[in-house]
Amino acid sequence: MNEAIILVMVFAVLLFAGVPIAFAIGLAAVAALAVTLDPVVAATVVSQRMATGLDSFALLAIPFFILSGQLMNRGGIARRLIDLAKVIVGRLPGGLAYVNVLACMLFGSISGSAVAATAAIGGFMSPLMRKEGYDREFSASVNISSSVTGLLIPPSNIMVVFSLASGGVSIAALFIAGYLPGLLLGLALMVVAGVIARRRNYPVGDKVGLTQSLRVFGDAVPSLFLLVVVMGGIIMGWFTPTEASAIAVLYTFVLSVIIYREIKWSELPRLLTDSAATTAIVLILVGTSMGMSWVMSSANIPQTISETLLALTDNRYALLLIITLILLVVGTFMDMTPAVLIFTPIFLPVAISMGMDPIHFGIMMIFNLCIGLCTPPVGTALFVGCGVGGTTIARIWRPLLPFYAAMFGVLLLVVFWPPLSLALPRLLGF
Amino acid sequence: MNTIRSLMDRVLGATICVLMGVMVVNVIWQVFTRFIIGHPSSFTEEAARFMMIWVGLLGAAYVCGSKSHLALDLITGRLTGARKRISEIFIQFSALVFSVGVLIIGGGRLVWIQLQLGQQSAALQLKLGYVYLALPVAGGFIALYSLFALIEALRSGTDAESQAEGRDRS
Repeated sequence: MNEAIILVMVFAVLLFAGVPIAFAIGLAAVAALAVTLDPVVAATVVSQRMATGLDSFALLAIPFFILSGQLMNRGGIARRLIDLAKVIVGRLPGGLAYVNVLACMLFGSISGSAVAATAAIGGFMSPLMRKEGYDREFSASVNISSSVTGLLIPPSNIMVVFSLASGGVSIAALFIAGYLPGLLLGLALMVVAGVIARRRNYPVGDKVGLTQSLRVFGDAVPSLFLLVVVMGGIIMGWFTPTEASAIAVLYTFVLSVIIYREIKWSELPRLLTDSAATTAIVLILVGTSMGMSWVMSSANIPQTISETLLALTDNRYALLLIITLILLVVGTFMDMTPAVLIFTPIFLPVAISMGMDPIHFGIMMIFNLCIGLCTPPVGTALFVGCGVGGTTIARIWRPLLPFYAAMFGVLLLVVFWPPLSLALPRLLGF
Repeated sequence: MNTIRSLMDRVLGATICVLMGVMVVNVIWQVFTRFIIGHPSSFTEEAARFMMIWVGLLGAAYVCGSKSHLALDLITGRLTGARKRISEIFIQFSALVFSVGVLIIGGGRLVWIQLQLGQQSAALQLKLGYVYLALPVAGGFIALYSLFALIEALRSGTDAESQAEGRDRS
């Protein structure tokens, strides 16, 4: 029990003091182990856990999806996807709001990053919407809330991280499980945006002719085809998620460097270094978290928390609600990757002992933390969205409320209605 | 100090860039051999995993150079003046303890034990000790970065607050 107290205390102090989270985790793990072991041995154990934790072929999907996302971001893909979204939903009243949501869903899914989706789509959409008379805060709210749909709609790096933290839940199954919740979230956000747009009489988009529509569709197909190749290959079992991610790199490389020539060869080294750095931020967290989860399980912490929660109530729904609320609070101030790495080993055993499917738990957890990306005090999508939307957190939190409500509503559905996450993977035999 | 730091930036940046590129080509080659030739090359998977360990750890050191590791600045982001300086000193000191204690001492001991045992990887016949060498090497770089930042924070009196704020994490 002493280990647990030291682990939590050291981690909390370092975390709130602003020490990089990865280092805080590693130091807390060593401090807790040093209760019973010689400090040098404790440090050796943690560093060994780091090295063996990173030694995983599945984890390789992360650098590759980051790299293919970076290759995509530089290109004109955001523009093409927005044009496509205009053709599909632009004619509805308040059309540009729908366009924003749909473009974020498409872009987020391809790039796998909520921040990239906020920046790329918001950067294009916010001036466009302002010109048509949309309120700045409204546009930014739509943009921020819908940017996270891409984390649920596969491929998604955070699911790879969850798979690792959970000790090997199938990445392919998680990917497939994300489709319905992600699409439903997008739909719910469109409904909210639509109701507000209709009430404020926001304009309808221009009519697009058939030939024009076909051209726009043709322009967007090569980018969208990436999703077909990657997800099709994974679903059909042709290749593993890691292999699929390498193919995604090859595909985006050919598309943006050789065919569209939007990225010059001379820019590639910079791009590789940036991707490696982004990867490293995730990997070092994965490494030290592996050390911490080892310490936690050797100190029986998940078991203790599990017993405490189960002693509190044995009502399955009440427990799920408690876990959801804890994750929501964690999500408001902690970034997604560290939150998944820290809380999966703690809550997953509880969920499993309640008879919950780990895939369902993963989707629920990721959905929860997605909301946190859009909320103050710390939310990367919120920060970036305010930046590109030309507004501030103080002005945007109120217009965001209806969108939070929609997200929370879908979250409750995801939590309490397992088939929403599990039907598709079951159908495909996972 | 700044010369050494920018030299470190360049060495690390170039290394992770090359490793990342080779890693991609490596796995694409593996997919190619599995699909076209019919049997996957056995050494590529192992090579990719080992390279990722190096990219992850050296990359983590590279990221230290630009102070862009994920951190919670809920409290520290609002500090100014002397408090900001103290907080920066504490952060850099913690990074120094982590890099020296865990990565250099712990990781170094791990490398030494592995080399003593002489354990080799399955496909490449590479001694695992050399793979784990990434830990103390990255630790060395992180230790230097945090040592430099620590010296900078200690030197900068209250008159150099603006400079410290300029290098704030994003």
